[in-house]
Amino acid sequence: MHGHADHVDHSEHQAHLPVGVYLRVWFMLFILSAVSYFVDYFQVEPLPLRWVLIVLLALIKAALIMNYFMHLGSERLSLVYTILLPPVLILALAAIVIAEGSYISMIRALFGG
Amino acid sequence: MATPAAAAHAAHEHHEPQSFWRKYVFSLDHKVIGIQYTVTALAVGAIGLVLSWLMRLQLGFPGAVGAVNPTNYYQFMTYHGLIMVVYLQTAILLGGFGNYLIPLMIGARDMAYPTLNMLSYWTYLLSVILLLAGYFVPGGPSGGSWVLYPPQSITAGTPGSGLGITLLLASIAVFVVSATMGGLNYITTVLQMRTRGMTLMRMPLTVWGVFISAVVALLSFPPLFVAGVMLLFDHLLGTSFFIPTVNVLGTVLPHEGGSPLLFQHLFWFFGHPEVYVVILPAMGIISDVMATHARKPIFGYKAMIVSMAAIGVISFIVWAHHMFASGMNPFFGYIFAATTLVVAIPSAMKTYNWLLTLWKGSIRFTTPMLFTIGFVSTFVIGGLTGLFLGNVAVDLPLHDTYFVVGHFHLVMGVSAILAMFAGIYHWFPKVTGRMMNETLGKIHFFVTFLGAYLVFFPMFLMGFQGIPRRYFSFDLVAFAPSGLDAVNAMVTVAALAVGAAQLVFVANIVWSAVRGREADANPWQANTLEWQTPQIRPGHGNWGPKLPEVYRWPYDYSVPGAARDFIPQNEPEVAVVSPAAGPEPEGAGR
Amino acid sequence: MTEHQQAAVAGGRRSAWREIVADFSRDVRTYPFGWSKAMMWIFILSDLFVFGGFLAAYAGARMAATQPWPDRGHVFSLTIGGAEVPLLLIAIMTFILISSSGTVALSVAASHERNRSKTAALLGLTLVLGACFLGMQAYEWTHLIHEGFLPSSNPAGASQFGATFFMITGFHGTHVVIGLIFLARVLLRVLRGYYDRIGTWEQVEVAGLYWHFVDLVWVFIFAFIYLI
Repeated sequence: MHGHADHVDHSEHQAHLPVGVYLRVWFMLFILSAVSYFVDYFQVEPLPLRWVLIVLLALIKAALIMNYFMHLGSERLSLVYTILLPPVLILALAAIVIAEGSYISMIRALFGG
Repeated sequence: MATPAAAAHAAHEHHEPQSFWRKYVFSLDHKVIGIQYTVTALAVGAIGLVLSWLMRLQLGFPGAVGAVNPTNYYQFMTYHGLIMVVYLQTAILLGGFGNYLIPLMIGARDMAYPTLNMLSYWTYLLSVILLLAGYFVPGGPSGGSWVLYPPQSITAGTPGSGLGITLLLASIAVFVVSATMGGLNYITTVLQMRTRGMTLMRMPLTVWGVFISAVVALLSFPPLFVAGVMLLFDHLLGTSFFIPTVNVLGTVLPHEGGSPLLFQHLFWFFGHPEVYVVILPAMGIISDVMATHARKPIFGYKAMIVSMAAIGVISFIVWAHHMFASGMNPFFGYIFAATTLVVAIPSAMKTYNWLLTLWKGSIRFTTPMLFTIGFVSTFVIGGLTGLFLGNVAVDLPLHDTYFVVGHFHLVMGVSAILAMFAGIYHWFPKVTGRMMNETLGKIHFFVTFLGAYLVFFPMFLMGFQGIPRRYFSFDLVAFAPSGLDAVNAMVTVAALAVGAAQLVFVANIVWSAVRGREADANPWQANTLEWQTPQIRPGHGNWGPKLPEVYRWPYDYSVPGAARDFIPQNEPEVAVVSPAAGPEPEGAGR
Repeated sequence: MTEHQQAAVAGGRRSAWREIVADFSRDVRTYPFGWSKAMMWIFILSDLFVFGGFLAAYAGARMAATQPWPDRGHVFSLTIGGAEVPLLLIAIMTFILISSSGTVALSVAASHERNRSKTAALLGLTLVLGACFLGMQAYEWTHLIHEGFLPSSNPAGASQFGATFFMITGFHGTHVVIGLIFLARVLLRVLRGYYDRIGTWEQVEVAGLYWHFVDLVWVFIFAFIYLI
């Protein structure tokens, strides 16, 4: 499709994970999903603990997917940091937007609306 | 879309597509796509310019143009803002200069994924068509101002709150898709397709500017897309993301519980980085043009890159300084004022570097160089007035006044446009093989530059007087000082003069493309790779059978002991520098 | 070239700073793979910001809502044998999407061995699982719409719930559809031996990356929209 000789000379050297690793990660993802489901099912109290557990489990699942399925763990660190650092910025947006939302609901509680 | 001269003299190669349509319309060639972007953006920009004349005529000579009424004044303002910021500047600086220059400057044959590149242009064209279609639907185009704040932008009573705003939001969403496709190509090409010897720290600053700007665009446009989709949902499906309980023209809308501030946060998370999406490529172009025409290495090359990257990062955490007057959580003012003032540091670094590049240079006052020096001036004035607005206590009284209009027009409007002109005058010989006329160019520069100051500098004074922006007429405003009419008339005359100067520019482009003096291969005696192609106007694949190899950074100007005052990037060291040369200048041979 | 030697040495030691500096100071290419994989990673980063923006907006809208937020366990429950089981369908959908991510991972592993039939079979399985996911999502949507849940309003509480739910799951579903088309194209090319002809199977890995990303986003949608 393209005129340049962009042949892949490195990619074949990357770490190959044995099939067993994929199956184990798969199994782990099942377990973690089930755990987060039951955290909600049994309505773990207090509420903040339930939320922390759910977010924590989601983050572990995301880490497993990125590290093993997407092979980010065996990529060069230059790529790893390129992918993992910028999302901090969208977290900043989320933090401000959440703080703003609670401020708005406070204002609404105080002044109606 | 391609220039007629290019059509007449196209170089023929075996693997080049032969049909007219494949070659000049649905072309995969980054150079053709870059020219398509440039021509389309300039055409849309002309519409934006005419809209600004109509607004200025109304303000300077109220009632002189009978066709302007409050309704279409707000429509003009909305379209002028969006066209100039998004559809002209972003498109031309990323799509036009980025496409044309990146592969040539880093020694690649084309973009990484030419098909996606072509799609990027055609989706951009679609977004332009959707935008302009607003003028041909019942109710007319949206008059919700370019920031599109809900509830007012989608509620009845605002011009174009029916089909007009739908088309506008669709157009913005399509533009985001187009910019994403383009941005993916620019970033991937820069990272993965450089030629031998072209390390990142040997890239010209234009490429650095476009690269960082593309990264910023790729990460900041998504929230705009999100905000646009959500506003479209509010408008079409009756959701209440942004609309609280509200009474419009006597009827209570069915919405409840939405948060207008949420839209403003999402919009400005895009809107502020967008300023840098526009200004970073401009800074890159300015740095390259300045070093070439001052015959000196750019001062502080690494500092330039670091400051551009720092500006890119910081631009993401300053957005709420546009919202000091919006009624947001007051604590945010504290955070965002601090981060905003930090941006001044890398910006000032760049300004000092430009001034020190000029210091003791053998400056050639060519037209591109004049525009470059003009850029530094308007950037400094615009940037310093930005520091006023970054402080909450100063921003609050100034926020809804002409001070803000003067500030952002100088810092991102005029500055980026001057850089765009510098780039066009500088690379015109590359594109067409002919030089642009210097006399017409200098007339264009002086009228534009001095005119821009005449237009925007009085606005700072008007702002201090408390003259509110966004007003259609000041006839019934009791607090307007007596001299306001005279100042407004003067500003309008200056704006029309600046507009007329753009006609000189267009005439210059057309005349020079056909009749201009034939350019030689390297008319500015520049070092960067794009001037070292086998043909003056490179054909398909840019480099002939063999890619160039790079041995040095792009700023080896006036190297002591060298045979000439410039050493192109692809010249091996031994061929030029004599062993008896004086001390090695900083950066040589890097 | 000395830079290449330095890069090789640094790569061997895997000292973080040296490795990054070595990659970013190399000529020709920064990452040691073809442009399409690099482009996909950068696209994923950008798309992450789209979903991040959606989820942030969801959080903001939910915080500011004036009506109580509906109880998701009740809204998304299935009644089986007279008993109401909360979130059952969503749990099954999650398992299916995770499984499809697993099959794609195995398929990419098979493509590294250039095993045409194994790659194709696992890709086909992924397509089936992805289609199942879409079908269940379509069922879930029609079920909710029948119960009166619309983007503009719903009987269970704050109207922003229906709005964000349909918007975010709809946008995710669009990604699933695009992913299915992408995977189907790759599957056809695998079957036709296209990747053997062009000498690189990287395209399978690129499609796999996209599909994993769709799964990754679902992890957060599951957590934030359904559970929290």
